Amino acid sequence: MNRPLEPVSQGVRIVLGISFFVLFVAAWAIATLGGFVSRTFLADPITMLNDGWLLLTRFGFLTDIGVTVWRVLGGFVMAAIVAVPLGVMMGAYKSIEALLEPFVSFARYLPASAFIPLLILWAGIGEMQKLLVIFIGSVFQIILMVAVAVGNTRRDLVEAAYTLGSNDRGVVKRVLIPANAPEIAEILRLVLGWAWTYVIVAELIGSSSGIGHMIIDSQALLATGQMIFGIIVIGIIGLISDFLFKGLNRALFPWRLA
Amino acid sequence: MTSTILTIDNVSRVFPGMRGGEPVRALEPTSLTVAENDFITILGPSGCGKSTLLRIVAGLDRPSTGQVSLKGRAIKGPGADRGMVFQSYTLFPWLTVADNIAYGLREKGVPLAQRREIVASYIEKVGLRGFENHYPKQLSGGMQQRTAIARALANDPAILLLDEPFGALDNQTRSLMQELLLGIWERERKTVLFVTHDIEEAIFLASRVIVMTARPGRIKADIPVDLPHPRHYTMKTSAAFSDLKAQLTEEIRVEAMRASEIH
Repeated sequence: MNRPLEPVSQGVRIVLGISFFVLFVAAWAIATLGGFVSRTFLADPITMLNDGWLLLTRFGFLTDIGVTVWRVLGGFVMAAIVAVPLGVMMGAYKSIEALLEPFVSFARYLPASAFIPLLILWAGIGEMQKLLVIFIGSVFQIILMVAVAVGNTRRDLVEAAYTLGSNDRGVVKRVLIPANAPEIAEILRLVLGWAWTYVIVAELIGSSSGIGHMIIDSQALLATGQMIFGIIVIGIIGLISDFLFKGLNRALFPWRLA
Repeated sequence: MTSTILTIDNVSRVFPGMRGGEPVRALEPTSLTVAENDFITILGPSGCGKSTLLRIVAGLDRPSTGQVSLKGRAIKGPGADRGMVFQSYTLFPWLTVADNIAYGLREKGVPLAQRREIVASYIEKVGLRGFENHYPKQLSGGMQQRTAIARALANDPAILLLDEPFGALDNQTRSLMQELLLGIWERERKTVLFVTHDIEEAIFLASRVIVMTARPGRIKADIPVDLPHPRHYTMKTSAAFSDLKAQLTEEIRVEAMRASEIH
């Protein structure tokens, strides 16, 4: 054991990170293959992989994955396009904050999944309904978090900009936005993770494609292997998108690490 | 006699009390005129309102009474005609050294070629050649403040305001920075208002030292410094310098004692 806050080397970090996955799968394998848990309720890892292979090769699961990814990104991009500028304006201008902050704080707690029945009435069970679930789930969170980040911009940087001749617009465009760009990217990464839960819930109800639809279909067949495979696929996609986001942030904001 | 560039006329500042407390009088009505090309240091114990006075001149704070005018025009808010260097490191962390220095020129709409030329000349003046493309995080405190001085000067302000810019630096760096700043002033004869609590710094740099009292601050003494230019660091050990230092130490000591009784 290290002392508190003492860093570990990159190699040790990777080995430890992988070893917990191994430990997790081993415990799962012992519980299922060892006969401690009924097969009806939990498939073993090997069945899961077989089922997954079948899904991918025979049942066109790749299309479902594609559809789900498209929905998440579509709803999320829509939310980001609306929310980031609004959040910046709220953070920058206190009158806009006073106007919108109470409502957004309230709307943030409205559960996106509870809107699904209503959205089905409004938008049917097509793609628009799925996108709207993700949009509603993400947009208020992003607005509020971006507003807080922008509102906490270092005052002395803003003052320095004014003494260098910036006007109000210049301060927003050339201080508030670049100063908070890394944090906004970080907020988007976080909220994208939440968007994944909304999409699956949306697909569990009134859907004919997507990972969530496959999972609810498999339930009817007691195909726990397929269900677990679907869940794990979501986890892997999340991991990959996280990785890409982090890489992108590093590439876009070298000044943070310099 | 040179002409007056800055007039501070009966400027005071009272901060409203927090949570129903007594209002805080930070600055008593203060008047001061600054002649063109003067290097004025404002010396006082901490919390005496000297930074408040400077911030009012910069337009970052509003006086409760009185007014400040620069070249005959009343100051309403911050502007590029008053360059400011802060005690905290205020370089924009997302911009390189060169882009930081170019910031004000960009806001003014100076064409790129001309911008580059001005930036290069100031990089040279503050001795940062080879660091143009570094980010602030990669620089030492002294280098950051040199960049901040270059950034303020590149805008060609009518007056340069410095708020304890070397306060966070170690002694050796601080002494080098003083010489660098004085060297620039001796060559370019900018008008400078420099706030400090360091007596030696105040004398070494100034053509005039303004001593302020403990809170609520007001001007206690206005002492011309007639030491010859160019000044060299060895001057700090000369007899004339020591006399001034003794005089100012006495003035400040009384105020520091008063301040410690109050706080």
